[in-house]
Amino acid sequence: MNIQAYIESGILEEYVLGTVSPQEKQEVECMSHIYPEIKEELMRTESALEQYALKHQTPPPAFLKETLFAQMNFDEVTEEPESTEAISAEPTLVQSDDNIKKLPVDSDFRAEVQPGQAREVNTDATIADSGATVIYPSWAKFAVAASILFAALFGWSALQMSGVKKQNEQYAAEMAVLKSDMDVVKKDAEYKDALASLYRNPHHKVVRMAGLEKSPQSIVAAIWDTKTNDVLLDVQNLPATPAGKQYQLWTIVDGKPVDMGVLDQEFSHKVLKMKQANPGAVAFAITLEKTGGSPSPTMEDMFVMGKV
Amino acid sequence: MATSKVKYSEEELVVALKRNERTAFEFLYDHYSGALFNIICKTLRDEERAADVLQESFLKIWKNIASYNPEKGRLFTWILNIARNGAIDAARVEGRKPIMDDIDDRVALNERDTSEELNTVSSDMKSIVNMLRPERKILIDMAYFQGYTHEEISEELKIPLGTVKSRIRTALQELKQYFAV
Repeated sequence: MNIQAYIESGILEEYVLGTVSPQEKQEVECMSHIYPEIKEELMRTESALEQYALKHQTPPPAFLKETLFAQMNFDEVTEEPESTEAISAEPTLVQSDDNIKKLPVDSDFRAEVQPGQAREVNTDATIADSGATVIYPSWAKFAVAASILFAALFGWSALQMSGVKKQNEQYAAEMAVLKSDMDVVKKDAEYKDALASLYRNPHHKVVRMAGLEKSPQSIVAAIWDTKTNDVLLDVQNLPATPAGKQYQLWTIVDGKPVDMGVLDQEFSHKVLKMKQANPGAVAFAITLEKTGGSPSPTMEDMFVMGKV
Repeated sequence: MATSKVKYSEEELVVALKRNERTAFEFLYDHYSGALFNIICKTLRDEERAADVLQESFLKIWKNIASYNPEKGRLFTWILNIARNGAIDAARVEGRKPIMDDIDDRVALNERDTSEELNTVSSDMKSIVNMLRPERKILIDMAYFQGYTHEEISEELKIPLGTVKSRIRTALQELKQYFAV
């Protein structure tokens, strides 16, 4: 990096004049941060322009200063807790005492500097803090101590709380998992009980529908109560339905398909109740149809079929 | 202009300003309001509007002093930017371009500035004020006081961009030599 060349490129002047792009601005700031020579040159340029500007003054209207300062609020000085810094600034204030308007806090600060007079001047301090060899108003100390203590306590309790909260959340999550596990187990048991009683019932005819070419792995059992003609389905294996599709059960009666209703989208691990079957049904089949079912089966989308 | 007896170095002033000390802001006002007002007037020309902008700028300085970073540049550069932008914004609100005089007018004005100064400054200062050739001074005033980009100056004054850049550079070199610390 040739610093001299960079300085002579004129970029610094443009920077000081404020005519550089934001990108160049960042670049100059970065360069001046790295190279003291560049920073010095920048400061020299700024300083020269500043002095040039100060040679060209137009006094603003005299009333302006008063109007302006009336809108400004310097109260924050009294609230500054950094008393030490305030004291270090004291010499300037004292020296200029007669010429400048006194700040409201002035006397307090002086009281702090001269402890001998402190009791007379600053009664607040003595009353609040009896006996101690003290310079600062005690309320300030208490306030600072109290606020630090409060902040610490607050931080600690917030930390604790967040820990407790986290643990709670964890427990809740674990509970939810346990509960859902339990539900699964319970449902499974109910389902198996139901199945067992269904299979044992002598009036029930079980029709096994096996997978066709489309889905050889599929297998569904239809449990047909020959007394009531109620039909229940036990889906042992069927692929999940694509969006907008639903399985539909059919029976074949007199060589024609008869609608037996659509399968619930949640068809696994439960017994599905379908429509009543015609006693003359010779076969059961399931096709994939649009959601809600179709009036007649789509033969290409037949998944399983079983003869009675 | 009343000047307070308190004297600050730039560092001390910045510390005191950041501490929101009234004396520091009074010092700042006494010290810089004339220069800032001059700059605002150059863009707005209407003294009443200019006074409003000076007041707004100063309040902005007071409110935002915490964000001033001495690492990035001198205090005056910062406050000048605030005042200059305030003036440009005000000119824009009034729906017109910042005032641009033709060169003759400009030179006459500069001479007026100069003659004003002559009454108050020592003979040593005269040379400083006069040191910039008028055609360079205009460029500095436009770029520095009024925030014109080099391109805008080139367009406005019908001077090639390269010439604008080199004149500004030369002018700044001269200023630096004159004000060399």
